[in-house]
Amino acid sequence: MSANYLRFWGVRGSYAAPHKTHLKVGGNTSCVEFRAGNYLLICDGGTGIIPLGDALMSARDMPETLVVFTHYHWDHICGLPFFQPAFSSHWKIKFFGPGETAGEIEQRLSDQMKAPYFPVEIGTWAADIEYQAPVASGLQHGPFTLNYHSVHHPGVTYGYRIQLGEKSIVYMSDNEIDFLKSSIARRADEFTPEEQRLNKTMQNEERAAELGAVRNADILIHDAQYTPGDYARKRGWGHSCYVDTVNFAIDAQVKVLYLFHHDPNYDDERVEAIQRDCEQVIRERQSNLTCIVAREGTVVPL
Amino acid sequence: MSERAHTVVIVDDSAAVRIFFEKVATAIDVELKTYPSAAAALEYLGTQQPSLLFLDIIMPDKDGLTFLQELRRLPLHQNTTTIVISSKDYAQDRNTARQLGVVEFVAKPMTTRVIEDLIVKYTGARLRSADTRS
Repeated sequence: MSANYLRFWGVRGSYAAPHKTHLKVGGNTSCVEFRAGNYLLICDGGTGIIPLGDALMSARDMPETLVVFTHYHWDHICGLPFFQPAFSSHWKIKFFGPGETAGEIEQRLSDQMKAPYFPVEIGTWAADIEYQAPVASGLQHGPFTLNYHSVHHPGVTYGYRIQLGEKSIVYMSDNEIDFLKSSIARRADEFTPEEQRLNKTMQNEERAAELGAVRNADILIHDAQYTPGDYARKRGWGHSCYVDTVNFAIDAQVKVLYLFHHDPNYDDERVEAIQRDCEQVIRERQSNLTCIVAREGTVVPL
Repeated sequence: MSERAHTVVIVDDSAAVRIFFEKVATAIDVELKTYPSAAAALEYLGTQQPSLLFLDIIMPDKDGLTFLQELRRLPLHQNTTTIVISSKDYAQDRNTARQLGVVEFVAKPMTTRVIEDLIVKYTGARLRSADTRS
């Protein structure tokens, strides 16, 4: 295995889907490992962090570990109480996520490990634990530099742009693309021509800001939870339709898009069909984008 | 020029939204102050309480609800009348806004009429002339 790589440990959105019809893609919720030498960066602590933790305990090395959270919805934190390295005194782990202070981040993570919801509290963690306070720019973890920005999802939710040498990877597990655009379209009748012009400008500004956060990324890992039909029913749930995701990646001139945060109701066959549809969009737009389904266990050299 | 009694602050990284508010303000007897970020707005809000504060949520430096949480800790802003305007229209954000004492949550896009009415309702300012309404 390359010294620098990323590995998908959980690719499912909303809740785990450990059904045999889903296992070619994977049933665990969000967790992606990034490794550069002795530095380990983990994005999100869904159920995928449990097998990652088990694998880390079996390995000889104990890398410097930073776990960052996009937000604190269950599917992104529910594996953390079972993350074995946190219970080992040999480990040093730093946590970061949305929050005004290190104490607020600690509170968000510890709230799920309290009676009657969990038998032990974070006080039982034996590892050397630190909570990273927000930084003005560029969170540094060994060779990794992380910048974060707010995305379109309920509550404060971050997307991360991760720089490792020449490689730029963007992790946006939960993000509803084009929500404002569709709000404007649905309510077009309410506005005067002058207001409509300002709405269009506002829409373009928001699109430009979103594209700016991912532009020219080597790898984009992005929410692609819904089919167009399901999105029509679930607009406003904070997740993207895969058609919007692939168009977003093309517009941002991303090199490789990993479709992520798969709906737990979609079996392997359905996710494969989504990937084929995305390929069709890419052909129609004559783009060079490579589009891949994020699957549990896939390792990508960096 | 007479000093106006009502000051309205809008914090939004969208230039289009700030222009929108400038147009709205021409029809109402208020002084409008516009800022593109939380950090820029602190120049004024650090020492002054506006009659009404409009806050966007997603902004590059700090999201509006986190900013409001900080403001609420200052004695000056414990009761500052605040309205959220956002393209995010989610129950979780509405609930957080309510917990922070936000009086209204307006989903973008918004009409001139809606914002005019809110400014009049919460500041008591007068419309300059009925015929300025579109």
